[in-house]
Amino acid sequence: MTATGMDYSVSLRGVKLEHERFSLGPIECGIPRGMVTAIVGPNGSGKSTLFRALLGLEPISAGQIEVLGTRLNGNRDESYKNKIGFLAENPHMHDNPFTADEKAKFASHWYPGWDWERYRKLLRHFDVEGGIKLSKMSKGMRRKAELAIAMAHDPELLMLDEPSSGLDPFAWKTMIEELQRYMEPGDRTLVLATHIMDEIKRLADYILFIYRGRVLGLYEKDQLLDDWRTIVVQSDYAQKGGMELLQRTPGFQGLAEAGPGLYRLEVNDPEQGEAYCEENGFQVLAVQRMELEDILSCLIRKEEARR
Amino acid sequence: MWLPIRIDEQRPEPLYHQIEVQLRGLILGGQLKEGTLLPSIRELAVSLKCSAITVRRVYQDLENEGLIRTRQGTGTFVAGVEAVARDEHRLERAAEELERAVDAALQLQCTPEEIEKAFRQVMKRKSEHWGGVST
Repeated sequence: MTATGMDYSVSLRGVKLEHERFSLGPIECGIPRGMVTAIVGPNGSGKSTLFRALLGLEPISAGQIEVLGTRLNGNRDESYKNKIGFLAENPHMHDNPFTADEKAKFASHWYPGWDWERYRKLLRHFDVEGGIKLSKMSKGMRRKAELAIAMAHDPELLMLDEPSSGLDPFAWKTMIEELQRYMEPGDRTLVLATHIMDEIKRLADYILFIYRGRVLGLYEKDQLLDDWRTIVVQSDYAQKGGMELLQRTPGFQGLAEAGPGLYRLEVNDPEQGEAYCEENGFQVLAVQRMELEDILSCLIRKEEARR
Repeated sequence: MWLPIRIDEQRPEPLYHQIEVQLRGLILGGQLKEGTLLPSIRELAVSLKCSAITVRRVYQDLENEGLIRTRQGTGTFVAGVEAVARDEHRLERAAEELERAVDAALQLQCTPEEIEKAFRQVMKRKSEHWGGVST
């Protein structure tokens, strides 16, 4: 437990990482234990790099990473990796000649917690034939096989990089069921990078927005969706300075003119915002929840303005 | 198990409140009988597309009200509800629904007289169906 009372599986303190074409950080954040955190951001934001850093595969130039109670920097004890399950964004070429069962056999030597029964159950549920070569499988089939291998040792921390890419809607539903079952005991932590909004809505408790290698914020999902709203307002007369007035709305996040005298206002304090609009002579036509992608674009716009 | 709870994205109330009101209603309304095993926190969160934090909060509130009980290792169950509480709830719920209808009418700029007239008309029409309702 930290001072804030939150228990973290992963914590990053002032972490920086430099590549030739890409730099990450400084990142300051924690991934809550026993919860599902979705990492959301445009392509090239640094999601996959972040995963690699948590696996100790990327040298960091500053800061401190702690995973499952182990400090990564300069640490030679790699046993914490036994408690992690990881599904990379793209399959490894060097796995191509092996069948799913053969790859599982390698993994079983590596992980003390490996459970063949769990592996077979997952394959059955995903409807995957373990004796087929990974290179001969369809994209979705291989994804399911790799996911079964990543989950078979019942890891404390499961990190999935775009797990549903290539899955058909039925396989997707099975994956959601299996991830729900995985979370059931309450002490498991799931981190997934995804662009699929329905996946985030079904699974995530927290959302970590990242953009250009920086964290835009870690939010409790429902709180975020409750707080952020679009208010559509109309001014009765051809009011001059309407935009300026609306920009001072409490919790102001964004504003667009939707027609003559008609405005779409984005706020994260809807009650105060609505009251403010009414006090200032605007007629409130509608108050709507915002979609996650719209909230993200809003946060990105603000970040861009700040740069 | 599946619960007939519906989240209305357009309502201003926070998600946890919407879920709590409906689950309380299912228990006090008798649709969920004493001893019924409720879904796990994660199961309900996935099916309602909300977070486990929200469901945990709802379960905690209802447990504090004595409507549900959590038994370590076995799950969360519906507790026994007294007849008095059920009756109070019935009237409260009816009043809430009426309030919603009045809100809608006010938004349409109806006067109190118009609303009362509309209410009496509805009651009259319903009483023709049910016979016993007096207006």
